[in-house]
Amino acid sequence: MPLSLQSLRPCFEGAVPAVIATCARDGTPNVSYISEVHYVDAQHVALSFQFFSKTRQNVLENPRATVIVIHPETGAQYKLAVRYLRTEDSGPLFECMKAKLAGIASHAGMTGVFKLRGSDVYRVESVSEVYGTALEAPPAPEVDVTTLRACMARLSGANDLKSLIDALLDVLEHPIGIVHAMVLMYDPVGERLYTVASRGYAESGVGAELRLGEGLIGTAAQARIPIRISHATSEFGYGRAMRADAESHGLTAGLEERIPFPGLPESQSQIAVPILAGTRLLGVLFAESEATGRFGYDEEDGFTVLASHVGAVASLLEDDPAALAVEDAPSKAASATAQGPPLRVRRYVENDSIFVGEDYLIKGVAGAILWRLLRAHLEDCRSEHTNRELRLDPAIRLPDLSENLEARLILLQRRLEERCPDLQIEKTGRGRFRFNVRRPVQLIEIPP
Amino acid sequence: MKADPGRPSPLDADHAAFIQSGVSVIVASRNADFVADVVRGCGCRVSRDRRQVTVLVEPSRAGTLLDDVAANGMVAVVFSQPSTHRTIQLKGTDAQIVKLTAADRAVAARHLAAWIEELSSIGYAKEFAGALRGRAEHLAAIRFTPSAAFQQTPGPGAGQPLEP
Repeated sequence: MPLSLQSLRPCFEGAVPAVIATCARDGTPNVSYISEVHYVDAQHVALSFQFFSKTRQNVLENPRATVIVIHPETGAQYKLAVRYLRTEDSGPLFECMKAKLAGIASHAGMTGVFKLRGSDVYRVESVSEVYGTALEAPPAPEVDVTTLRACMARLSGANDLKSLIDALLDVLEHPIGIVHAMVLMYDPVGERLYTVASRGYAESGVGAELRLGEGLIGTAAQARIPIRISHATSEFGYGRAMRADAESHGLTAGLEERIPFPGLPESQSQIAVPILAGTRLLGVLFAESEATGRFGYDEEDGFTVLASHVGAVASLLEDDPAALAVEDAPSKAASATAQGPPLRVRRYVENDSIFVGEDYLIKGVAGAILWRLLRAHLEDCRSEHTNRELRLDPAIRLPDLSENLEARLILLQRRLEERCPDLQIEKTGRGRFRFNVRRPVQLIEIPP
Repeated sequence: MKADPGRPSPLDADHAAFIQSGVSVIVASRNADFVADVVRGCGCRVSRDRRQVTVLVEPSRAGTLLDDVAANGMVAVVFSQPSTHRTIQLKGTDAQIVKLTAADRAVAARHLAAWIEELSSIGYAKEFAGALRGRAEHLAAIRFTPSAAFQQTPGPGAGQPLEP
């Protein structure tokens, strides 16, 4: 049976450099190392083009070449007969290879030297194993089809966005065994991603934001492709630098208050997979590990299947008439009696930043929702609410996509759970919830 | 094609020592259709006057490379030290398959040991380093006169002719 390119995917992790032999038009052979050979599909690979070299000149003149890749665990060598097709210097393939190369460069002590100029795409015309003394094959991947099926069944059982996201993080933890993970949702108006749930971090980081295109997560979101690295790199890091940035902003308090991004300080392996509903970006699933090389092609496949199922289920939940049809007039049920000293809640009108006492809580759409709930509590003694009334309220300035409201409510609910036990959102049914206020509140508006 | 016997070797003593150490040795040639073949070699020997370089390869791993070398004499060989990324490429147009000598066998044995030590120093298992290099007894020797030499360490200077 001929070898499939797919079966060689461990060779394309960049752990051991590959070599390429080419031939100039005058018949002079050339051989050179390649930092990154990327698996594109069952018939194609892409090689990192980093320097203007003899190899590059040769393949432009004479596209036929031979590549040797090495299995990082068995040491087996495979020979690929390839034909150069084209170079891509932007777009998803390029972004994906750029991130991976940054990880490879960091591993090789070549940060700043290894820089991707282009992704050279080659058709693979044949694959053969070089006769040799390969070691025993490594164990099978952890994310097998049976496991994936069980995970997907659990995701399908979710009845709202919050339980869907929780189910995703649950299945990653068990049975897949990913301890550090988070889900970020996309705000298409602000072109930002904000964390709505996480697992495995000392601080949940719910509410922490990233710009589209920023770091590994922002790049995966922008390019709409999974991106992963196997070795820590400052180029795509978000960890220390961003936390330091957040801390420095924290000192200035007020309008641009930030929530520190969660993350492992000693993170080595990272993977970011976009959650898409069709072509629409809903968010990003991110996982990381202190082990190097934790996420391979198989994990990437598995996470991508899960994320795409999450995208489809989230999209169905949005469109579900049952979720939208809750039109009952909100009851005027009074909140449970509020006791204790009053809670001072400040709102900076300019960006809807909300502070409880001296502590920053939330801003933006979620801040506007909270303010509305607090006013309904004070002015109408009302605690029962529906998603619909919020969606229709012009004061909330909600982007017109419905999952944004649901995601903002999850964000607000989580932030209140973590930071303000006296104010709580409690789900009471599809598209409805109760806002519980356990202390008297005093509202202060700070005009722009 | 024959190299000019009057031309000085592009290799100085330091280059010669480097390519004979525990570096990776990657040998390429090409066939009549100008398609290159390539094999990981098992060591290298430089003649006393540094005009001749002999690289050792395992025939069972070499594909069509030995036939190609015999047919047209064209070779390109890259020597690279994994721990430093220092890399040199030599080219030759007069390569031929020569009889393996006892000295060549000793070179291959020394190379295997030095290569395993080199890879261990950067964290690879000895078994892995050995599997990659191959431990075969049966070897072939390719001798050529370096007609050109290039610095190929990753970075802006890559591709420049070697300066002794």
